[in-house]
Amino acid sequence: MVSIRAIGSCALVTRFTRVAAALVIAPAFLLGASGTTTQTLSAQINAIGKVSVPASLNLTTVGTTFVAYSGNLTVSYRARTTSATGSGSLTMRATADFSPAGGPSVASGQLTYTCSAASLGVACSGTQTASTASQTSVVTLGASLCTGGGGSCSAANPNTVLSTFTLSNNPAYKTGTYSATLTFTISAI
Amino acid sequence: MKRNYILALAAALLVAPATYGQFAATGTTNLSVTVSAEAALQVTTSTTTLTAIGTIFNPYTGTTNLTYKIRTTQATGTGSVTLKVTSDFSPANGPSVATPPTAGDALTYTCTGAAPATACSGSQTASTTASTSVATFGAGASSANAGNSASTVWSLTNDPVYHTGAYSATVTYTISAT
Repeated sequence: MVSIRAIGSCALVTRFTRVAAALVIAPAFLLGASGTTTQTLSAQINAIGKVSVPASLNLTTVGTTFVAYSGNLTVSYRARTTSATGSGSLTMRATADFSPAGGPSVASGQLTYTCSAASLGVACSGTQTASTASQTSVVTLGASLCTGGGGSCSAANPNTVLSTFTLSNNPAYKTGTYSATLTFTISAI
Repeated sequence: MKRNYILALAAALLVAPATYGQFAATGTTNLSVTVSAEAALQVTTSTTTLTAIGTIFNPYTGTTNLTYKIRTTQATGTGSVTLKVTSDFSPANGPSVATPPTAGDALTYTCTGAAPATACSGSQTASTTASTSVATFGAGASSANAGNSASTVWSLTNDPVYHTGAYSATVTYTISAT
C-alpha cells in the first residue's frame, strides 16, 4: 500500500532548518573529525607522618601485692620519609601528669615503657622513662620509608608499634584513681 | 534490609572514635590507674632458733624479723599483722602450744615495729587456734617503698618435763589491709 501525503512548502523549510541545527551542534567525532591534546600532571610528594592512639589505657596490677601496674598500648602510624636523606621519629611526652595529687608521678620517673614490634622503623631500645619535660623515643624512622603498598614500602597499613607501660606500685600512693595524658608526636622529613 | 545496613554503619561510625582516634600529627591517650589498699610481708628470719642462755631453766628465747609493705585506704582503712602457730611443736614429749605438759607453759612474744605500725602491746600468748596481734595500722597508712621492719621476740617456757631433743613448730604471719 502506498500512502501519499501532501507537504506544503512551509513544512519543508522547517524540516531543513532542524537538520541544519543538528549538524551544527553535533560533536566533532560524529562529523568524522579527530584531535589530540596533552595535559601535564605533576604532584609534589612530601614527607609526612600521622599517628593515632587509643583514647585511653588502664594500667592494672595482678597477682602478688605491690607488683607494678602495667598495660599495653598499640600506637598506629603512617609515615613517608624522603629518599636517601629523610628521617623521622615517633615520640611521646606526658603532657599532663597523674592527678589528683598523692598518687604516682611521671615527673618523678615512676612511669617507664618499652617498645616492640614496630612494623616500620626501629622501636625504641631498652626501658625508657616517660617524662613531662621532654619527648622520649618510641620509633625512629630512617630514609626512604613509607607505609603500605608493599614493595619498597611496608605491607602494613597503618604501621603499629606496641608500647608496654609499667608504673611502680609504691605503698606511699594514696588509694584512689589517677589519670595522666600522654601525647604521641610523629615527624618525618 | 537497607535500613539495617544504614543502622549498622552508623553504629560502627559511632564506636570507632572511641577505640582509636583520627590520624594526625599528634595523638593523645588518657592513662589511668586505680590504686587500692594492699599489704604484703616477708619473714626475713626463715628459721628462728630458740635458745636458753644463762641460768638453767631460763626460757628459750629468739627473735623473728619481718619486712612488710602496706597501704590502707584514706579515712576509713585499717590494717593488721597477726600470727598463728599453724603447726605445733613436734615430735611429742616436748613443748606444746596447744597442749602444754604443765599448766602455765606457753609460747609468748612481744612485738617491735615503728610507725606507721602500732606494735602489739605487752606480752602475747601464741595460739594454734586463733590469730594474735603483731601490729595494727590506721587509715591512710603507708610503708616505705622498700618496706618497713617489725619483729617478734619469742619466749618459750623451759619446763623440766620436756624430753631432750630438738622440736620445731611453724608460725604463720598474715598481713591485711582495707
